[in-house]
Amino acid sequence: MSSGQVTKRVKYKTSVKDAGTPGRLSLVKERLVFRPNNPNSASKLDMQFKYITNHRYTKEGSNKAPMLNLTSNQGASYIFEFESYEDLHICRDFVGCANLMKFGHKGVAELLHRQQKLQILELIRKFIQNNPAEMICSSVQGCCKTIDYVLHSELQKLHQQFVGGGVLTEAEFWATRKKLLEKDANRKAKQRGGLKSSVLAESKPFIDGRTNRVTFNLTPEIVREIFSEKPAVHRAYLNFVPSKMADKDFWTKYCRAEYLQRSKNIAAAIAEAAEDEELAIFLKPDDILANETRRKIRRVDPTLDMETDQGDDYSHLPDHGIFRDGSKEVAESGNELYQRTLLQDLNRHAAVVLQGTPIDEEQLKDTQTVAEALERSKQERSTASKDDESSADQERLKGISQAMTIDDLRGSNDHHLAPLWIKVLSVLTHNISSTKYNLGKKPGESLLDSLPTSVRDELLHHHISIEELMKHFWSSYPITNKYLNTKVTKLKDEMSKMDSQLQKLKEAVQPDIRHQITLLIRPMQQALEAAMQHYDAEQQKRASKAREKPNGYS
Amino acid sequence: MKFQIEEVTVYFPYDNIYPEQYTYMVELKRALDAKGHCLLEMPTGTGKTIALLSLITSYALAKTESPIKLIYCTRTVHEMEKTLAELKFLHNYQVKHLGAAAKMLAIGLSSRKNLCVNPKVSSAENRDSVDAACRKLTASWVRSMAAENPNQPTCEFYENYDRAAGGAVLPAGVYTLEDLRAFGKEKGWCPYFLARHMVQFANVVVYSYQYLLDPKVAGIISKEMQKESVVVFDEAHNIDNVCIEALSVSVRRQTLEGAIRNISRIENEIDRFKDIDAGRLRAEYNRLVEGLALRGDLSASDAWLANPALPDDILRQAVPGNIRRAEHFLHVLRRLVQYLKVKLDTDKVEKESPVSFVASINSDAGIDQKALKFCYDRLHSLLMTLEITDTDEFLHIQTICDFATLVGTYARGFSIIIEPFDERMPLIPDPVLQVSSLSLSLSLSLSLSLSLSPLCMLCLCCHDASLAIKPVFDRFQSVVITSGTLSPIDLYPRLLNFHPVVSRSFKMSLTRDCICPMVLTRGSDQLPVSTKFDMRSDPGVVRNYGKLLVEMVSIVPDGIVCFFVSYSYMDGIINSWNESGILKDIMQHKLVFIETQDVVETTLALDNYRRACDCGRGAVFFSVARGKVAEGIDFDRHYGRLVIMFGVPFQYTESKILRARLEYLRDTFQIKEGDFLTFDALIDVMNIELTDRNLNQRQAAQCVGRVIRSKADYGMMIFADKRYSRHDKRSKLPGWILSHLRDANLNLSTDMALHIAREFLRKMAQPYEKTGSTTGRKTLLSQEDVEKLGNNGAQEMLY
Repeated sequence: MSSGQVTKRVKYKTSVKDAGTPGRLSLVKERLVFRPNNPNSASKLDMQFKYITNHRYTKEGSNKAPMLNLTSNQGASYIFEFESYEDLHICRDFVGCANLMKFGHKGVAELLHRQQKLQILELIRKFIQNNPAEMICSSVQGCCKTIDYVLHSELQKLHQQFVGGGVLTEAEFWATRKKLLEKDANRKAKQRGGLKSSVLAESKPFIDGRTNRVTFNLTPEIVREIFSEKPAVHRAYLNFVPSKMADKDFWTKYCRAEYLQRSKNIAAAIAEAAEDEELAIFLKPDDILANETRRKIRRVDPTLDMETDQGDDYSHLPDHGIFRDGSKEVAESGNELYQRTLLQDLNRHAAVVLQGTPIDEEQLKDTQTVAEALERSKQERSTASKDDESSADQERLKGISQAMTIDDLRGSNDHHLAPLWIKVLSVLTHNISSTKYNLGKKPGESLLDSLPTSVRDELLHHHISIEELMKHFWSSYPITNKYLNTKVTKLKDEMSKMDSQLQKLKEAVQPDIRHQITLLIRPMQQALEAAMQHYDAEQQKRASKAREKPNGYS
Repeated sequence: MKFQIEEVTVYFPYDNIYPEQYTYMVELKRALDAKGHCLLEMPTGTGKTIALLSLITSYALAKTESPIKLIYCTRTVHEMEKTLAELKFLHNYQVKHLGAAAKMLAIGLSSRKNLCVNPKVSSAENRDSVDAACRKLTASWVRSMAAENPNQPTCEFYENYDRAAGGAVLPAGVYTLEDLRAFGKEKGWCPYFLARHMVQFANVVVYSYQYLLDPKVAGIISKEMQKESVVVFDEAHNIDNVCIEALSVSVRRQTLEGAIRNISRIENEIDRFKDIDAGRLRAEYNRLVEGLALRGDLSASDAWLANPALPDDILRQAVPGNIRRAEHFLHVLRRLVQYLKVKLDTDKVEKESPVSFVASINSDAGIDQKALKFCYDRLHSLLMTLEITDTDEFLHIQTICDFATLVGTYARGFSIIIEPFDERMPLIPDPVLQVSSLSLSLSLSLSLSLSLSPLCMLCLCCHDASLAIKPVFDRFQSVVITSGTLSPIDLYPRLLNFHPVVSRSFKMSLTRDCICPMVLTRGSDQLPVSTKFDMRSDPGVVRNYGKLLVEMVSIVPDGIVCFFVSYSYMDGIINSWNESGILKDIMQHKLVFIETQDVVETTLALDNYRRACDCGRGAVFFSVARGKVAEGIDFDRHYGRLVIMFGVPFQYTESKILRARLEYLRDTFQIKEGDFLTFDALIDVMNIELTDRNLNQRQAAQCVGRVIRSKADYGMMIFADKRYSRHDKRSKLPGWILSHLRDANLNLSTDMALHIAREFLRKMAQPYEKTGSTTGRKTLLSQEDVEKLGNNGAQEMLY
């Protein structure tokens, strides 16, 4: 088998200081083979991966040569010096993967239990990136299989049923799975929780009726929200705490300002702000935010930029044209300085949520940590995002011109895929949803739970099997070649088998639950029926077409 | 695809075409052949713009012996950007298929504010301050000063552009504003002046209505357009309003106060000049004696807004003697401002004709009609003589002179209306306040309105939309007026006083029922909902509206848009939703973005809203029915799967102005009031009962009509007010919405609407036959179909 093999030029050494024997290292499915360039040299090597217990390698960036050190179960070490780090990495990953497979199902399961799943996936991902596609099949499939087997023992059953039963080939069965794995592997090593959609800081202050005390409740999470939505408050915190005032005093002032703000008592707010300059910071419009707005407005989608309209609109000169409600802006006079509206806050909040938060959950300890972490990530972001932005802009502009086109007028998109027109499908979805609706009516009660375990398991298994079949069936249409044709025929046979199995299941159960079972089985049967109808219709069409053609054409 | 319409080969950048687009093109071509004007109505979502652009550019390509220019007018800059994006797409296609022969120059033109690349200038706040900042660096006297004094700052971009002179040209291509700025930055040339220069040579110019309709702007930008041009007004259903606005001026107390300050400042300048350079004022006087209000050879950078009166009406005469001397002119202005001040000091509504107004100015202030007429040019000349560059400081006196010139020029088609209005809430059309000021019940709002001292506004209103557009019809070979809603289509020729050679209205043939309008009359508790003034603050209604939205956000994917009747109502309802926790429930499912009165903030909110829809998080956008967003932003595709209209939108302050306009229309064009009212669905404010009848056909079309981008798109609309279930109210909705409004959906409660929405979304998710061949009539044509049509003659097709 040509696939699943890597060959690299290496120097084989027995110790680090050894000058080494130049030659070729080939990694094949289960073994590694070293052949020296000089065929007379004694240092040949041919061993199976399963004897290798450990492998070490030099880190990129260190001033050492790229070397891979394999330790066998007898304690001997084999060192290979590569020509480049690239080669080293490819081989390292190969060995890693091979190592995994060596563990067998049990080993992987154990690893998974030790929560190293992500590492494994990462390994495989790298492997996929570095290796030619044909190679991936055999070795990755090995890993995929093991992982998936462990993760879903269901899959095992399915595999046995379809691949073992000859309905699907190995490749077909795994074709859909590989995608799943890639998606999984591409995910960031650690998923970050986003900000909550609801406005936390808007949570109402607690006012007890007897005294004039107003209690605000601040958690680190709320603080994070305040800091990211109001950069001026964040800056003030970094400047004042703890050099100028204590943490507690800062927040007392902040809450006081918030309270004034919310009570809409502008006169009082102005008066207090005049006396207390720190308080005034919270009441004044946020200058950092204003700068950011100015920066952002320049990069806004031009097809919805209403600010440019204002810049162009000559009838919106003050006093030109007819004074009309709502369509004209007049500069608001008075104390807008101290007016921040709920609407503005909501917009700001949604924008921050959309942007995402740079702070992890574990950093939510106390306000000081939050403030510092936020500051750090801000700096990182500002340095990193500069180049990003322009390319993102380009991307957006491209998106805009894409959006301008009228989808259904472009013919090219629907040439290769014949439109699917299945009448039964709408009825089917309707029925399925209505059954679901009827069955799931009572909250907290699951129909499935009321069934005997064996029946339930069987039912679930049937469901999954049918789903699998359907996936393969519908994805084979339109039938363009012979291969698909035979596949569909095989699938169809399997489906009719499945249908009779369902029937049997229905008959076998106790009469008291038969009705529920029937309800549950119906959608499955309908799905099968729909597929079979489609198959028959298609078959007929093909037959009639074939008849039209004169002899000699195929 | 490429096909023939008679002798013209049309290059259309898609593989398929809607039958509507095809017939639209056929009709348009007839109008172009006849070199006449035309009126075409075709619903949104049928690709009007691309049809228009492909036909006209293809037509120009076919008729190389007499090249035509396309002047494409949009209402807003963002629509201009959209048009240019489509044009770019089309141009790429044409160049690909025709090669270099298809190359053309297309530019979008806007103000300095939107085109300036000089960081010192473009950072200014608004349009006028950018204009002024630019003048400070580029005015001819500033530049001649800089020639002597190297420390005098100038604009390097303008200087470079000026130095390049004839060499400064744009290569062929389609230029959006951003492209122009980028090109200017790269070459070091001022994009604004370059674009203005290139307008004469461009094959396609895209700019806003006012550049053609407003004489102040048209006078400097569109002077030199050739007659062989096709002018297109897109989204033109409001064109009559743009026309009358271009010739209307309103004067408020602040205007007068500002004008007085301006006059004092000018006075100081005159004194200063007398000391240092008395000769200059004398030179101006001499020039005025010779009869030239302005020097004929103004450099482009000196050009100011032109005369507000239409070019045909401007007298080519000497400036009258009594305002030739600068001091005398200032005296006249002072007297005029004083006179207006007295006029504004009233607490009742007054309406006057220009003739009687001019007569009373003459008798009370001693200013004759001819002096009034020359006010604007005289002021312009004076400011130039005094070398004033901070023109943004002089907007008030400019307004007063505008007013004087217009009132002195036009005796017909205008009226002067003095109306007390509420200074504190100029933007908040709140029918509660409106009603209460007419001393009706509601004690709370009554006390509010009593505490306000009503101020007056004097408005010179133009009633005749045909005035402003007349020069356009006269000057250009073909004018195309088109929109999604132009019905009744026969009213427009009368309003605008022209004779179209083609006037047609197209219906949209849909492949499937892709729009689902619903009328929701009851909330989840089965109680009626409405924004009628006696019900709007009812907590039950507020809660029901909130519950409706909470339910909808949980089932509708992507974007939802909500329209409210006014800013104050929206503000109130959001605050109470916030307090009752409804807002929190909404936010569980979607992010919330809101239109505010700050345009910048609204734009950013919209941008974020789109991002949220794009990334799949989904969002709700709260907007106001007559606000800026409703006026021109599309909520097509996933940006608006559902539009909810909370209540019936109102029209408010215009009432008296409208009344005057109706009278004028009746007297002059024999357009019956009723005709216009159903057309604009405006109302008689005196008749309180009818206040809520004011669902405006145009407004409703605005709010909900922009959800469909193509026949593949789909969207729902909920009209949430019990009044919509009444026939008279509902019939004001555009026909294409009504035709999809099933009887079963006329009287729904929240739970029923929810069910219908679910069903609809499920149905829309199903695959369907795009060409519509299963339903008998084709809704999508392929190359082959079009060729067949061409052979059979377009007449017996489709309809």
